[in-house]
Amino acid sequence: MALTQVSSNKCAGGFQKVFEHDSTELKCKMKFAVYLPPKAETGKCPVMYWLSGLTCTEQNFITKAGSQLAAAEHGIIIVAPDTSPRGCDIEGENESWDFGTGAGFYVDATEEPWKTNYRMYSYVTEELPKLINANFPTDPDRTSISGHSMGGHGALICALKNPGKYKAVSAFAPICNPVQCPWGQKAFSGYLGSDRSTWEAYDATVLAASYSGPQLDILIDQGRDDQFLSASQLLPDNLIAVCSEKKIPVVFRLQPGYDHSYFFIFSFMNDHIKHHAKFLNA
Amino acid sequence: MTRNHLQGKVAEMENFAGHLEEIFLTVEENFGRREQHLEQHYNDVLQTLSQRYDERAAGLEEEKKSKLEALYRQLLACGQALDASKELIETAQEIYRSRDKRLFLKVCVSPSAPVINPQMPNSATQTSLRVCWSLFSDDTVEYYELYYRPVLEDMPADSTLPSPPVIKQRECTSCPEAALIRWESGNTNPVDSYNVELSEMGTDGTESGVTESIVAVPTCQCLIQLQTGRRYLISVRAVNIGGPSDRSDVIIVSTTGTFFHLLEETAHPCLSISEDGFTMFYGDEEFPFYECKYVHCVCVCTYRCVAVLGDLIPVRGRHYWEVEVDDGTEFRIGVAYVDTERSSYLGANNTSWCMRHILTPTRHKYEFLHNGWSPDLRITVNPVRIGVALDYERGTLSFFNVDLEQHLHTFHCHFQSYVHPCFGLDNPGALTVHNSIEAPEYTFT
Repeated sequence: MALTQVSSNKCAGGFQKVFEHDSTELKCKMKFAVYLPPKAETGKCPVMYWLSGLTCTEQNFITKAGSQLAAAEHGIIIVAPDTSPRGCDIEGENESWDFGTGAGFYVDATEEPWKTNYRMYSYVTEELPKLINANFPTDPDRTSISGHSMGGHGALICALKNPGKYKAVSAFAPICNPVQCPWGQKAFSGYLGSDRSTWEAYDATVLAASYSGPQLDILIDQGRDDQFLSASQLLPDNLIAVCSEKKIPVVFRLQPGYDHSYFFIFSFMNDHIKHHAKFLNA
Repeated sequence: MTRNHLQGKVAEMENFAGHLEEIFLTVEENFGRREQHLEQHYNDVLQTLSQRYDERAAGLEEEKKSKLEALYRQLLACGQALDASKELIETAQEIYRSRDKRLFLKVCVSPSAPVINPQMPNSATQTSLRVCWSLFSDDTVEYYELYYRPVLEDMPADSTLPSPPVIKQRECTSCPEAALIRWESGNTNPVDSYNVELSEMGTDGTESGVTESIVAVPTCQCLIQLQTGRRYLISVRAVNIGGPSDRSDVIIVSTTGTFFHLLEETAHPCLSISEDGFTMFYGDEEFPFYECKYVHCVCVCTYRCVAVLGDLIPVRGRHYWEVEVDDGTEFRIGVAYVDTERSSYLGANNTSWCMRHILTPTRHKYEFLHNGWSPDLRITVNPVRIGVALDYERGTLSFFNVDLEQHLHTFHCHFQSYVHPCFGLDNPGALTVHNSIEAPEYTFT
């Protein structure tokens, strides 16, 4: 559980740090970013986990999303892991930008050659929180989760599969129904095999239909001019329909003029952190 | 031969002479005619000339006459001015020559008020009264005027005190920091001012004696600063020269949350308000045309939106209220400036902001309207109890699903003047307003 600090920069009165460690789930060295707000110097803080999208590392979020000021204001630690195991030297892992390296899809793979290393679901929900709680001034009962695109899918499934674990959940342009879109079908068939029933365990729309647990309050922002929305990769309507039927509270905002980029994330990051703070600081 | 030649020549000459004579006669004739023409022409010219002379002479004569008259008038006026000046000089000379110079400075003063002497014994009968008075000897008095009025037997001694005012319960509003109390004067005669008295109610419901008094309130309303989360008993007294009236009936004001009544005069004719004043119904009945009336110079028939405004206290702080609806109620809830155009729908102009619920055959639709524009939102759980939070300082108007404590939307706007809560129904249905609720923590983070 040894952590090595890779970098540290003072930011918004707190510190934006990057650490590296040997992951037992992923069987490789993994980096993650952690923002410590000013309040962390004197007391325990709640933690928000941020899951990034396809092709990202732990750097994109901390340099482009503009989260630090709001995190400092509300006294929240933000942890942003990488999006897949790195340097495992698996054949084919660098062939596509939407499968393999940088595209872990937050599942625990069952197919070869991925099953040994590609266990991002367990990494995010088990190993990383233990590591964070052991090394930083956190309140382990107050955690929340958010993400963008593939990370939005990750945040939604982590929350739906772990009722009560996350006090708040939100997403930016999430992949809502991966079993029905090209990205999800490619990733799941590669990581999980051809039996589609195994895919459903990692699909937010399917999980919502059978969710039972403490009441959620999901905030989703989606750019209306997002090319992947029009390419039917994201499918938010499917999730909304199920949540309406199952009375899972969702506020879904379609933002005119915005695309899929970090410029879009930056624009609404304050609203999301405020949403998380409402539950984390309650 | 020479004789014939000569005779021939003579005959020629005689012929020639005859011709000459003819010519001479003709010329003579012509001359005579010409002479006649010339004479005629000459006479005509003479006539025209003399005519013209006569005309011009007459005009000049007129001119001369009027100028002479004007001159004469000027001379007359001059003469009069000379006479007036002469008089003035004589008067001045007289004043200068007079012995008593003080007479010149003498001013005309109105006399001092006479002093009525006290009534003397035996100066009255059943039908008459002898009144005597004295005056200042320096006054010159031309005449006296005497006034009298019978005094009623049963008038109480302190009849000069005013009656207590009547507090208008339905027109009082409050918020966590203040209360606005309105009352009726309670007096037909004008009152000098009012005193507002307030005392805090203890937790056991007892009155703790008068704790504060606001005096010299000039109009029939008063905005009072108060402490949050307390209950106050407020009453008003009218004051005139005679002193203060009795206390008005008391009103109990609570500074928990914001409290207001609906402004029933702003209600659309199709809207009926319950007796307690907090529930509104839009029935299926036909538009009641007989209920035409003018409010702020606009006939209520022109109100397009079936809506009513609330009487929010004009204090630029934080206000919170809740609205209870049914799953199927098509409502518009929000705020508007008091002069918002009622001929357009709430949220369709830039003087109103509202949350709107639309029921389509397939789904529920929610809009957050201002200036006709709404963001594109989907809400999966239909709110039936909506919290509305208004923050003047931050310039925000937020909406919440109270049952889920879920934030729905926030308008960011700088409110130029005070706004009023507005409640509307787009289709038959009902809506209940709940206020005096302490704003939950999540509403004003």
